[in-house]
Amino acid sequence: MTTMIARRLLQLPIILLIIYTLTLSLAWAVPGNPLEKGEGRRPPEEVVEAMSRQYNLDRFDRFFTSYLYNATGVRWLWESVLTDRAGQARERAIEAGQSPPPRFVFDFGPSLQYEDWRVNEIVADALPVSVTLGAIAILIALVVGVFAGVVGAVRPNSFADLATLTVALVGISLPSFVIGTVLVVVFGVWLRLFPIGGWGTPAQMVLPAVTLSLPFAAYIARLTRMGMIEHLKADFIRTARAKGLPESRVLLKHALKNAFLPVLSYLGPAAALAMTGSFVVERVFTIPGMGQHFVNAVLNKDLFLIMGVVLIFATMLIVFNLLVDVLYRWVDPRID
Amino acid sequence: MWKLLAPVLLLAGVVLTISLTDVRDPPADFTFINRGDVATLDVQRMSWMQDIRVARLVYEGLIGNDIFTHDYEPRPGVAERWDISDDGLRYRFHLRPDAKWSNGEPVTAHDFVYSWRRALLPDTVSDYAAQFHLIKGGAAFYNWRQAEIDAIEAMPAGPERQAAASTLWKRTEQAFIEMVGLRALPSDDGRDGAILEVELERPTPYFLDLCAFAIFFPVYPPLVKQYEHPNPETGRLEIGSGWTKPGVLISNGPFNLTRWRFKRDMRFEKSPTYWNRDAIAIDTIAMPSVEDPNAQVLAFESGAVDWVSDVSPSYRRYILQRKREFYDEVRAARRAWEDGGRLGTEPPDIDAMIEQGWDPVAIDSALPTDPRKNIHAFPAFGTYFYNFNCQDKLADGRDNPFKDPRLRRAFALAIDKQRIVREVRGVGESVARTLIPPGSLAGYTPPQGLDFDPVAARALLAEAGYPGGRGLPTIEILFNKDGGHDLIAQSIAKDWQDYLGVNVALQMREIKVFRNDLKNQNFMVSRAGWFGDYGDPTTFLDINRANDGNNDRRYNNPDFEGLLDRANDETDPAKRMSLLQEAERILVERDLPLVPIFQYVQMYFFNPDQITGISSHPRQEQNLFLIDRLGDGKGADKVKALPPRNPPQEPGGNS
Repeated sequence: MTTMIARRLLQLPIILLIIYTLTLSLAWAVPGNPLEKGEGRRPPEEVVEAMSRQYNLDRFDRFFTSYLYNATGVRWLWESVLTDRAGQARERAIEAGQSPPPRFVFDFGPSLQYEDWRVNEIVADALPVSVTLGAIAILIALVVGVFAGVVGAVRPNSFADLATLTVALVGISLPSFVIGTVLVVVFGVWLRLFPIGGWGTPAQMVLPAVTLSLPFAAYIARLTRMGMIEHLKADFIRTARAKGLPESRVLLKHALKNAFLPVLSYLGPAAALAMTGSFVVERVFTIPGMGQHFVNAVLNKDLFLIMGVVLIFATMLIVFNLLVDVLYRWVDPRID
Repeated sequence: MWKLLAPVLLLAGVVLTISLTDVRDPPADFTFINRGDVATLDVQRMSWMQDIRVARLVYEGLIGNDIFTHDYEPRPGVAERWDISDDGLRYRFHLRPDAKWSNGEPVTAHDFVYSWRRALLPDTVSDYAAQFHLIKGGAAFYNWRQAEIDAIEAMPAGPERQAAASTLWKRTEQAFIEMVGLRALPSDDGRDGAILEVELERPTPYFLDLCAFAIFFPVYPPLVKQYEHPNPETGRLEIGSGWTKPGVLISNGPFNLTRWRFKRDMRFEKSPTYWNRDAIAIDTIAMPSVEDPNAQVLAFESGAVDWVSDVSPSYRRYILQRKREFYDEVRAARRAWEDGGRLGTEPPDIDAMIEQGWDPVAIDSALPTDPRKNIHAFPAFGTYFYNFNCQDKLADGRDNPFKDPRLRRAFALAIDKQRIVREVRGVGESVARTLIPPGSLAGYTPPQGLDFDPVAARALLAEAGYPGGRGLPTIEILFNKDGGHDLIAQSIAKDWQDYLGVNVALQMREIKVFRNDLKNQNFMVSRAGWFGDYGDPTTFLDINRANDGNNDRRYNNPDFEGLLDRANDETDPAKRMSLLQEAERILVERDLPLVPIFQYVQMYFFNPDQITGISSHPRQEQNLFLIDRLGDGKGADKVKALPPRNPPQEPGGNS
């Protein structure tokens, strides 16, 4: 198990480097100047030039290396740990009556569109929101999905089974902007049970979390149902029943435990996906999460922000998969 | 079995930890949705309208405009009075002693000198640096500093370059004192920094109006200095971004910034150090970030926000339609009352109020309560127009037929703007014949402009050498995705095909690509729009000067610029305005580098029975510190509106 973890952690930087290179090349190739505004007065030519020089927007190779240097923590390692250059710069600044420059371990740079914000600050505001919403959504998906799957598997082709299958099909096929809008109109506008948007109170989290959870719940229900049906036919279940165990114990302890394993492996990518935000759900419910940045940053050609959110998403995906694999081995020690 | 619960517990733990650390605010006295997210609160670097709106809340300039007067009269701000020399070249602003920063320190003329100098440093990358070139020596200083930095950057790296870089700031301070006509003077009783003296390059009648523009607001030097790091290699100041955040920012306006979470919300509280704090009728303002147009409408209808400042869902014309229906019901009630012998309470007479030139807000306040009256469409200080590329060749080397003004005029005459306004838009915009919105600027009467005239258009087309459109290449219209520009382009394309017999191709681009194509003149015809920044015709006309960075058309006419230059030197305001009118006439009647299509309207949602302080003036600047919640016992609780334009002779009418 430790070798598996070590190996996966060693792979992480290599995978990230490949993703970084690919994403940056694509983002760089998107036409349009990141420093151009979408409307209104143009900044003077010399201003644009000075800024592109300052941010290395005029040279791909320089941007590539300087961004890596800052974002991977190498700069921090060099200036704050191996040498004391950061400390000296800090002292110099304080001596000159200036605020010391901000120091992040992983410095993702400034946002080109929102001049007062650094990507680290943007992510620090948005990521907790998305992680909370995603975690609630996955929780709902787990509970609803596993329950529906078990119900369906106990009596295959019964009414309950067909009903859950239909709901699951709808959950997978309906896009979340439709589900979200319907929920807002029904529960927010007509019934006035929940606020129509915003973030902060538990009531505000319900509708978006349900919307976000539906496709995951549907998928989990199908995975559970399939696994349960398969395992309920197995010999050890017959043995368990022959021993006279109560049916609930047979189902939960023996069948579900095994049927749950595919669900568990699905949880890794699902959690990463849910916790890095959904553009659509965030837009419909006005949630200040990460999802919007994946779309808006590209439209604005905000290079630093694009790279920041992509790298964080990739890291989360890899780490969650690793976490799931560890859980997997812990739940089922036969695998190693 | 319990192991299966591990992922569930793990997730629940995450949710709990994060929710417990999140901060929630109580509801504010006034909640509004801005037209977009604020990019910066560094006033010298601002250019977005939403940023400027917030700047007017947290900062205060030397003077302000009274947005409830038709002429946008100047009102004292940090300066309690000012005098202007007879030649119009020297301004002296006397700063009020009780103007304070949010930390209690007095606002002095030194702070203004520092802030305005900041705008004149190329290092600050201010989009509006050119506005400061009106100050004597401003342009020379800007160019001097740029040249110095360029020279240092051109030097080989080494101790010599570092030495030059390290002394640059001292030399800059000296150069500023020697070159620029901007000084802080003591008052007669010896108060330091009590007077700001400004010398101008030439008499600039709109300079006072500029002083009310956010770019001219002061920042707190001891704070901002901490964030300006001179690069040891080049001497260029690198501007840090941390100082505009709540808890750090020190500002001098009516409200202080108390929260700013990215793309989530901003929150403001009445400043206890603001000199005019007693005139403010609300204590807290919240500005949640809501991007989706539908969500904005729902937020208003559910009562979560008081003001939506840019109503833009695709169905907004139908919301407006419902208001017209409401007006018709009120009119019908009035007729029934008149026909019925005028018994009972008198219903309001909408048509009489319109005739007397009442502010639309005042009209709505006088009507019975009804949710349909909460939508408002006010004319805005901006014009939607079409650009013609005026260069001899197109960007790809082809011949450009639109280099000929006759052809441009022919195409301009063949656009049925009325149809665009009525059928395509349907939100009450008015057809524009001129670039400058009529009625928006005191003392300025725009020229007549051209009407829709397909017959004259065809004649001109033949005169230009293309009878019946023969010989013309396919005309390409460039526009950006979203915002309904495609529908307008289709309408115009149809006009040109029907009336001029030409082929038209539509080119839709992503906004950034669109802007880049415009900048590089990579278009034949394109959509465009412009909003004015300050109260003078030049805010619209100057973008047509040959070397202006916003002259996407590459229009170049010395006659036109000669008129602008003469207007610059003219000291008589009336003569100056007629020179500017003459210049605009060249644009919109003769040369047509652009065709005005319609004057923008600004659509708001607010309940006039609950909220007052939002102005319908075409300049469309809002001072949120004027907001008053009606009937809450705080403030005057009286409807604020522009005075009626044609009040009836006998006493009475609108308050």
